[in-house]
Amino acid sequence: MSLLTMITTMAEGLGKTCAIFFLTLLFSLPLGMLVALLRMSKNRIVSSVTRFVITVLRGTPLMLQLLAVTYGPYYLFGFSVSRNKLIPVVIAFSINYAAYFAEIYRGGIESIPAGQYEAAAVLGYTRFQTFLRIVLPQVVKRIMPSVTNEVVTLVKDTSIAFTVSYQEMFTIGKQIANSQTSFTPFLIAGVFYYVFNLIVDRVMGRIEKSMDYYK
Amino acid sequence: MPEINRNDPSAGSSILEIRGLQKAFGDSPVLKDISFSVSTGNVVTIIGPSGSGKSTLLRCASFLETVDEGDILYDGQYAVKSGVYVPKKDLNRFRMLFGMVFQNFNLFPHYSVMKNICEPLTLRGIDKEEARERALSLLKKMGLEGKENAYPCQLSGGQQQRVAIARALAPEPEILFFDEPTSALDPELTGEVLKVIRQLAEDHMTMVVVTHEMSFAHAVSHRVVFMDGGYIVEEGSPDQVFVNPQSERTKRFLSNYKQ
Repeated sequence: MSLLTMITTMAEGLGKTCAIFFLTLLFSLPLGMLVALLRMSKNRIVSSVTRFVITVLRGTPLMLQLLAVTYGPYYLFGFSVSRNKLIPVVIAFSINYAAYFAEIYRGGIESIPAGQYEAAAVLGYTRFQTFLRIVLPQVVKRIMPSVTNEVVTLVKDTSIAFTVSYQEMFTIGKQIANSQTSFTPFLIAGVFYYVFNLIVDRVMGRIEKSMDYYK
Repeated sequence: MPEINRNDPSAGSSILEIRGLQKAFGDSPVLKDISFSVSTGNVVTIIGPSGSGKSTLLRCASFLETVDEGDILYDGQYAVKSGVYVPKKDLNRFRMLFGMVFQNFNLFPHYSVMKNICEPLTLRGIDKEEARERALSLLKKMGLEGKENAYPCQLSGGQQQRVAIARALAPEPEILFFDEPTSALDPELTGEVLKVIRQLAEDHMTMVVVTHEMSFAHAVSHRVVFMDGGYIVEEGSPDQVFVNPQSERTKRFLSNYKQ
């Protein structure tokens, strides 16, 4: 198999790699906020249950969680989540990343000085208006570097989907590597991830810069 | 200075009336039986050592802290009666009667000066144009013409505090609270903020100012309240309190300020 064939065959899987990436962000970013709010709940049962769930999601391998979501239902109840492996992959990734985002959000929310809430309260802002208009925009700015970190990791983590044989770029590469007894596909995969993350870095840098107008 | 009848909430001219206020943080009482009132058009300064409860008193009056016991009345109407608050919706109505200026300004850093002042107004249903006009005229009054598009981080501390004063004045409150408005400023910037407050006093703005600036308190207030250990130890005209204090505690406190 020529180098060019390897590259084009693997590139065909990039669409699925991107699907995991974008769908995971789409679901985990808002889900993380929900988890963060539950984690900060004044109800102690809610906050400690959430806290426990977060420790499990962060304390066990994503690969294990992916296997559990994909095959767990079959072993437990005799049915599969879906024929299309993209669905369990996105579910597992979204839940896992939501746990990380939740802790980033929580850190950001707790870093906003009490004076901001007090000023808003005296000026007649409702709690919801205070969160949406005063707190959240400042949180977003503060957490951008940590979020970028997670997003970069997510690009590389999409390769974990090979464990359930979802035909994304890395899975295809691994299959070629096996059949051709060649290391080249891994080098190609490395280049793909690197370029992907160069783009991510650019985009996130833009977003950060767009919030540079205040400190 | 007419003597205020503290037992009669319908005394008419008192915009704020506080009676028998008690507040504890956990086991430690911070306010022990505070009664005090503010007449329309008056400037009351509250002085006293750190931890005496001055700021907590203001924060209770502005509903930032909840009281344990006592009454708070605005315009003769109960906001808090025997430690019980009126429903949330009514509390918001009372919130429109006062403004607050904080020690650390607490401007919204992601908003321009203009938006800091205007958004609270438009959220309260004031027309955008009207809000803009109010903001511009207040900024002019504060000596901040041309700063409407600046962000707080581009301003000096003194300028930020004057923006905060403009923001607090914009909803046209009946009474304005200042919680150590110059404590975060260096002496040079303190002057420009005190000048603005003095100007408001000349315009007969009703104000309660917690401050450590004794000469300012002496010059600007109608009444001075000295607090210590959660009590009002002494109150009276500036001359009574500063020149001829009755209590030993007041004398001792003020001696620190006279070289």
